[in-house]
Amino acid sequence: MDKHQQARILIVEDEPMIAFTLQDLLVEAGFKVACVAAKLEKALALIESAGCDAAIVDANLAGVSASPAAAALAARGLPFIVLSGYSPEQLQGAFPAAVFMKKPSRPATIIQALKGIVYKQ
Amino acid sequence: MHEESPTELLLLSENAELRTRLEGAEETLRAIRNGEVDAFVIESAAGPRVYTLQGVDAASNRLRGEILAQVSDAVIAIDGQQRVTYANAAAERQYGIGASWALGQLLSKVYETQWLPGAKAAAETALHERGEWRGENIHVRLDGRKLHVESSVTVLRETVDQSAGVLAVIRDISGRKEVEDKVRVSEIRYRRIFEAAQDGVLLLDPDTCRITDANPFMTELLGYSHDQLVGKELFEIGLLKDEGASLKMLQKLKTEHQVRYENLPLKSQRGRHQEVEVVANLYDENGRAVIQCNIRDITERKRVEEHNKMLMAEVNHRSMNLLAVVQAVAQQTARVGDPITFVGRLFDRIDGLAASQDLLVKNEWLGVDVADLVEVQLAHFKDLIGTRVLLDGGLPARLTPAAAQGIGMALHELATNAGKYGALSNSEGRVQISWTVSAGNKPTFLMSWLEHGGPKVAPPTRKGFGQMVIGRMVEAAVDGTAEIDYRESGFSWKLSAPFAAALQMGRVASSAGDARG
Repeated sequence: MDKHQQARILIVEDEPMIAFTLQDLLVEAGFKVACVAAKLEKALALIESAGCDAAIVDANLAGVSASPAAAALAARGLPFIVLSGYSPEQLQGAFPAAVFMKKPSRPATIIQALKGIVYKQ
Repeated sequence: MHEESPTELLLLSENAELRTRLEGAEETLRAIRNGEVDAFVIESAAGPRVYTLQGVDAASNRLRGEILAQVSDAVIAIDGQQRVTYANAAAERQYGIGASWALGQLLSKVYETQWLPGAKAAAETALHERGEWRGENIHVRLDGRKLHVESSVTVLRETVDQSAGVLAVIRDISGRKEVEDKVRVSEIRYRRIFEAAQDGVLLLDPDTCRITDANPFMTELLGYSHDQLVGKELFEIGLLKDEGASLKMLQKLKTEHQVRYENLPLKSQRGRHQEVEVVANLYDENGRAVIQCNIRDITERKRVEEHNKMLMAEVNHRSMNLLAVVQAVAQQTARVGDPITFVGRLFDRIDGLAASQDLLVKNEWLGVDVADLVEVQLAHFKDLIGTRVLLDGGLPARLTPAAAQGIGMALHELATNAGKYGALSNSEGRVQISWTVSAGNKPTFLMSWLEHGGPKVAPPTRKGFGQMVIGRMVEAAVDGTAEIDYRESGFSWKLSAPFAAALQMGRVASSAGDARG
């Protein structure tokens, strides 16, 4: 994506405190938050309607794996970060196309990684 | 003819006397020679003495006596009056007595007989009917020592109907009995272990590789009967995959005497899959080689191990998630105020998170009662509960872990604000906290925080962290709506949420599934 375009980011996160803080963080970093989805259906609907350019995905949504969202993003060639308290080994390859980040991650690191996948820096 | 002198007369008389005696002696000798005399009595200074005449039998009787003296079994003879008439050297040793003392004693003075159940009557019948009895009983010696003996008893008859006594050959089998007892106890003990073991045990013949015995647990484990197991090879019962594996085990056993397989998958007759651990030993059983296989069902152990692993992973995941929440709270708290206020506020909020977390763990992550949550989040005002802080929960309501965390944070912010600016900041204001469930086709969880009697209320000039928490954050946590009213007479907060999003259904919840993250 062109650096001068404002990328639309989907946040898939069921913990509101983390979701809203990520939202603030992304807005401050110059991104547009397309949607905060606490549920898989909402995330999938947004991906289907081509409403985002990239995503930050929490691996586990109240006991439901977010891997279908990851698969949908990968199918559309959309870059995304998986942000989870689980380690990549624990997720057992359910998120193959992802850049993986462990919770808690520093805000600056998240922004840097997001810029990396969106603008291929 | 001449007159005989007195001397001649005396001699004649003596001669006649001697002739008579000689004739008497000759008659005695004839009687002895003809076997008409068994014994004769000779009067002596010490009294009458009996001499028996037994001829050739005397030699054989002496020989018998010597044999009896030499045998290791005790030999005792008694007469019809139960008096000892003979005891050999072995009897002296066995009963700790002297034969010279014993002769003429009642047998019951030598030892006391304790009969085994039913043996006495049997012995009496046998002696009466057949004239002999053979059996075991207990003899108690004079010194109290008990001997387990095996006796062979024969009735000695002088004439057909008159009992002259009995002859008993008695062998002390106490030592053998002790060994037999030990063997029996050992047999019972090991049989019981074998029967009751909660491990499968198989015995195999190393030559044929076939099962020779299996314990009940083994038949239960595999679903084969004992008869079905005996004669089979291990691969036939699904324990080893094929004949090759069986041979390999045998080879290894011959060199190492023990083979151990961990995590062997086992398919039972009923098709149940189990994980088993097999330990096979090759050992010598009285000169015969035997393979013993112990098979332990480790399915449950594996399950517990897996569960523990999952729990540890889950604990780690939740810790990471909670740290991420703390990080977010810190970021949000840092948006307003100076560094000193920031630290105080952050610590307060971490306390609130910790209190909710504590409750969740105490409830095994199965949800939290609203009353408990209110109590821990209002810990600062606990003295006011019941007076200025009134709780009104119509019924016990159990929040889901996610709802508990969101509402817990909201209660913390509400209490902090009430203490700083609201009804709990003066000396007479009150807070009414209520919760209930509204029935209907859309059951709803309702919770409210109503303040009265505090200082005059004014809406906040800017939206801070507290507003976010009691507003959109708690709304997201319970999928509901929060109504916030800064009315002059008193602040109010009303939350309504779909029953299913806020409250735990029943008490059972998946322990891992509810985690956020």
